[in-house]
Amino acid sequence: MKTALKTFLVIIITSSLFQAQELKLPSNPLKGRIVFEEKGCIVCHSLNGYGGKIGPDLSRQKYYGSFLQLGSVIWNHIPSMNRKFRELKMERPQFSESEMLDLVDFIYFLRFLGEPGSVANGQKLLSAKGCKSCHKIAGKGGSLAPDFTVLNKYSSPMYLAQALWNHGPLMQKKLAELKITVPQFSGKEISDITAYIRQATLSSAEFRLSPGNPSKGKFIFQQKSCGKCHGVTFGEEKMGPNLSKLNLNSSVTEIAGQMWNHSPRMIKYMKDNSISYPIFKENEMVDVISYIYFLGFEDKPGNRRFGENVYIEKGCSSCHESGGKGVGPDLSSSSHLKSGVQILQRMWNHASKMEDLLLIQNDEWPTLTLDEMSNLYAYLKSKNK
Amino acid sequence: MEIQRRDFLKLLGGASGAIALGLYGCRNSIDVPERLIELAKRGPGIESWKNTICGQCPAGCGVSVRMIDGIPVYIKGNPNYPVNRGGMCPSGHSALEMLFNPDRIKNPQKRIGVEGSRKWEKISWDNSLKIVSDKMKELRNSGLAHQVAFLNGNAQNGLMDKHFAQFMNAYGSPNYYSFPSIKNQTVPYNLLQGVEQIPAYDLLNAKYILSFGSNFLEEGYSPIYYTKIYSQLRDQSVERRTRLVQIDSRMSLTAANADRWVPIKPGTYAALALGVAYVLIREELYNKNFVQTSTFGFNDWTDSRGKSHIGFMKNVINNYYPEEVSKITGVPAETILQIARDLGNNKPSVVLGGQGAEDNTNGTFTQMAIYSLNALLGNIEKEGGVYFVDVPPLAELPSIVYDEAARSGLEKTKVAESNDYTYPLADFSFDAFTKNILNDKPYPVSVLFIYKGNPLFQTLNHHEFAEALKKIPLVVSFDSCINETSEYADLILPDHTSLEKWDAFSNVPSVGFTHVGIQQPVINPLYDTKNTADVILKLSSMIGQSVANALPFDTYEKEIRFSVEKLYTSGEGAIVTEGVKGAWLEYLQQRGWQIGRYNSFDEFWKLITENGGWWNPIRKQKKVEDLFKTSSGKFEFYSKNLEEAINNVVRKAGGESSENMKKVLQALNIHTEGDAVFLPHYEVVSIEENMPLYLVTYNLLTNRDGNSSNQPMMQELFGYTVHEHWNTWAEINPVTAKANGISDKNLIWVESPLGSIKVTARVNPGIMPGVVSVPFGMGHTSYGRYAKGIGSNPVSLMKNKYDKLNGIPALQATKVKISLAN
Repeated sequence: MKTALKTFLVIIITSSLFQAQELKLPSNPLKGRIVFEEKGCIVCHSLNGYGGKIGPDLSRQKYYGSFLQLGSVIWNHIPSMNRKFRELKMERPQFSESEMLDLVDFIYFLRFLGEPGSVANGQKLLSAKGCKSCHKIAGKGGSLAPDFTVLNKYSSPMYLAQALWNHGPLMQKKLAELKITVPQFSGKEISDITAYIRQATLSSAEFRLSPGNPSKGKFIFQQKSCGKCHGVTFGEEKMGPNLSKLNLNSSVTEIAGQMWNHSPRMIKYMKDNSISYPIFKENEMVDVISYIYFLGFEDKPGNRRFGENVYIEKGCSSCHESGGKGVGPDLSSSSHLKSGVQILQRMWNHASKMEDLLLIQNDEWPTLTLDEMSNLYAYLKSKNK
Repeated sequence: MEIQRRDFLKLLGGASGAIALGLYGCRNSIDVPERLIELAKRGPGIESWKNTICGQCPAGCGVSVRMIDGIPVYIKGNPNYPVNRGGMCPSGHSALEMLFNPDRIKNPQKRIGVEGSRKWEKISWDNSLKIVSDKMKELRNSGLAHQVAFLNGNAQNGLMDKHFAQFMNAYGSPNYYSFPSIKNQTVPYNLLQGVEQIPAYDLLNAKYILSFGSNFLEEGYSPIYYTKIYSQLRDQSVERRTRLVQIDSRMSLTAANADRWVPIKPGTYAALALGVAYVLIREELYNKNFVQTSTFGFNDWTDSRGKSHIGFMKNVINNYYPEEVSKITGVPAETILQIARDLGNNKPSVVLGGQGAEDNTNGTFTQMAIYSLNALLGNIEKEGGVYFVDVPPLAELPSIVYDEAARSGLEKTKVAESNDYTYPLADFSFDAFTKNILNDKPYPVSVLFIYKGNPLFQTLNHHEFAEALKKIPLVVSFDSCINETSEYADLILPDHTSLEKWDAFSNVPSVGFTHVGIQQPVINPLYDTKNTADVILKLSSMIGQSVANALPFDTYEKEIRFSVEKLYTSGEGAIVTEGVKGAWLEYLQQRGWQIGRYNSFDEFWKLITENGGWWNPIRKQKKVEDLFKTSSGKFEFYSKNLEEAINNVVRKAGGESSENMKKVLQALNIHTEGDAVFLPHYEVVSIEENMPLYLVTYNLLTNRDGNSSNQPMMQELFGYTVHEHWNTWAEINPVTAKANGISDKNLIWVESPLGSIKVTARVNPGIMPGVVSVPFGMGHTSYGRYAKGIGSNPVSLMKNKYDKLNGIPALQATKVKISLAN
């Protein structure tokens, strides 16, 4: 009986933990840039200096958070945004569900893209990391490995990272023979080194990679058997670290650096267990990392009971009364709140009316923390028909 | 059939009225083929859009064509195409009137009367191509391949230019010419910086723009590109926005939109530019670091033989102080001080030179003087300054394996090479070309191809070119409508209109990023016409294997695909939709990303044709030797290139001597002596005729090269700023008008030693006293019912004057008088 109960509890717990993924993995997370421009976000927010200066430049290297975190950031600054719309005599944009998802995908993805490298720092790093023990650049360095100066094509940071990864076993064996420590990479070091190599070679030809296709990355992740060692959902513990716990305030090259750093242990483990080492070609490594990055997009499930409290305390219930008696529709009988995207989209689209009503009633705008947002979402979703 | 304006207004129904007018029986005005009318009546009414490149002028704007049941009915700017970003000029809308023009040539024509007799008979494509190929084979077999010449009047960078050049090279003639030659206009930049390109200007990042006669909102290579940028600049508060000062003899569209218009006497822009340089130097407002490290000839210097030379600074300080410059230019000395101080104190500031300054006998030196201000400001390849865009990574056409006939032909002297000392720096001189044909020098021309352009309407002294055409046994035109020039052709092999054809354009000069636009048919050809590029492919195969091997393509479309495939493999840039905002593309590229990933070239091709083109706003890192391709490796205030070019001519004139130098300088219209010849300086424009008023002409956005005159909408819009329609007018200052007893809207004669034209006087203060300005575009003696006999052509008044260095026509160097016409 005890065993049966245990089994039952495990099933209940894991089923809540391993919910089916609700947000569809994008195949092109940059698609939302079009929404960003067409809906006029760019009037206030710039990307790399292009656009308005009223709001923050979203291309600054900042992680704005998961889907609901982003939702709460957007929700909380709706009143100030609305004031700007009125001041600039701009029509307040309305979003369809797909537009809202594309937009949030895009903003979420910006951090992933990384930063431009620093040539000066790259020059220092190339020496400090011991790369020049084997590689020559600008006439200086070893001759065991290819001369960076005569590379006939400029390679982007991720192209370099992928090449590094692919020849990891061979390189690490050689380093061991030469008693050289395997270099470790953190922060934007890979980008810096690439920037210096580019400067030193001044090659006119370029080899760039596409920023990543998470949907395809999931397929490659499975194809390369990464999932044998790495869990990707909450509580899915395996031999390697659970990737859903990764610190996502990192760019793709930083994540690639982390992968490289753990590769010696990984190579050993794989060798010991006769598992073949995964080799990436074309855009595969970027695609896989973009998939891993998007593992953090969807939030942990909230608590519907707490969510009900939020619903009451934040005053949602005073307008959205049950039985349709309130000013707003009865959310407990709505059939349009099936997903986080739907909820965020509807919250945004109705915010103007709500703002006016609150103003008339001398009420404050109800801000929502991430927890409040996810709990509210859990509650609304549970009520949805 | 003569169309009066009132008739046109009755018919006017907007651009999309083409079909409607056809349906309502107005087919004499807008000729819609019967099969399309039937389709329009019975079709299901399905809408679709297709992106292509506008062919109305060389500006290369991207357009989206709306079609109902596959019939084009409306055209708008392609919002994703970075050159025009959705903008479009009136002429672009009018491409439908070209497509459905009632005066289109519907099949190949053979002239049966004398030149200009307008007697033609229909001929099949097979027969016409046989006539041409037989003649070309005969010449080639007789060792006379060089006697074939080709004039490409389409001043555009792109595949068509390379295609024709490849054909002519493989055939064995050195006589392939582009006119007006873009390279002629690059001469000043080549002399100072060693770069054979038109610069682009980073207006978006400049705080102050000083324009010397550059009517960039109307007359530049791409007015819509600059209009878009300018409107972005003006969309700021008055305190923060970029200031534009326009120097021009007339208040052009650009001057009217500027913060300040500074009127100037025609032909004196160089003096004013050097007056501004004087103030920058005296008040130490120039970039000393750039001048010291990256320029040559600023200070006095001594050559390897120990000879002392005067530098730019001394020449400017001694000769171009404001009081003196004011006397030359008519610009008050206080104004010179003010604009120079504003230029030096509002950095980044940028200086532009354009048509008003360039189209004169002293154009090269004028542009050198203007461009040298950018060097003084340290503007080369700097934010808010000037730069040169990278060439797109298109595939080169296959290497030619020259046979003996081709080698022998290509060794011959070019027909357009001047026989005297003139035009030593010109890529192509129309003047020399015409004179040499008339004199059979260095040999007769037996076949002449003319693609686009209409020299007998557009060029100076075109009566002389008409005589030259009469001398050529076989003149082949590719015009879509008969015009002044094609009336002299023996054969007309009609081209498709731009909405029916394939082409690929690249890097419109002065546009600030690398780009390639794909022109594609939006409708099947209406008539029995062919893309001239395909005609050339056919001729290649008919002439012989060695010529055919140079162009191994079944169709021009396949040649475009071949060329574009390298864009795909390069991994550079992006399809235009992917990065319509350059900053975004730059953001990704800085981080090592490419925007689009295409699984195959077929996918890339599908996207590029769907969206209109490819672009790359990120410039490659440049080494110093890429920036300054001069012998000193620096920006040369003292142009050693010019010194060498002139010394070469002196050697040809009999050897280096002061006498020969004098003779050569005289032939080149250079009155200055000594070191100043090789420095940016002011050359006096010699105007012999005893006439009181300067004549200046300009192009309007509605009819930039006179080729839109056969489109009624453009005739209606011709003088939209002064409310003159289907008519040519002359703008004169009230002071000039009063002195000549003329009132607004009087009919007047404008008379030069070469003739006179009757136009409507428009009296307004937007032109300087002592100047008459007449727009170019009307006054056709041919070119169909909407163009012929309407308005007047100011070029017909102009003497045969050119900048004797680079061959550019001196359109501002004629003086005239005016009188009331009864």
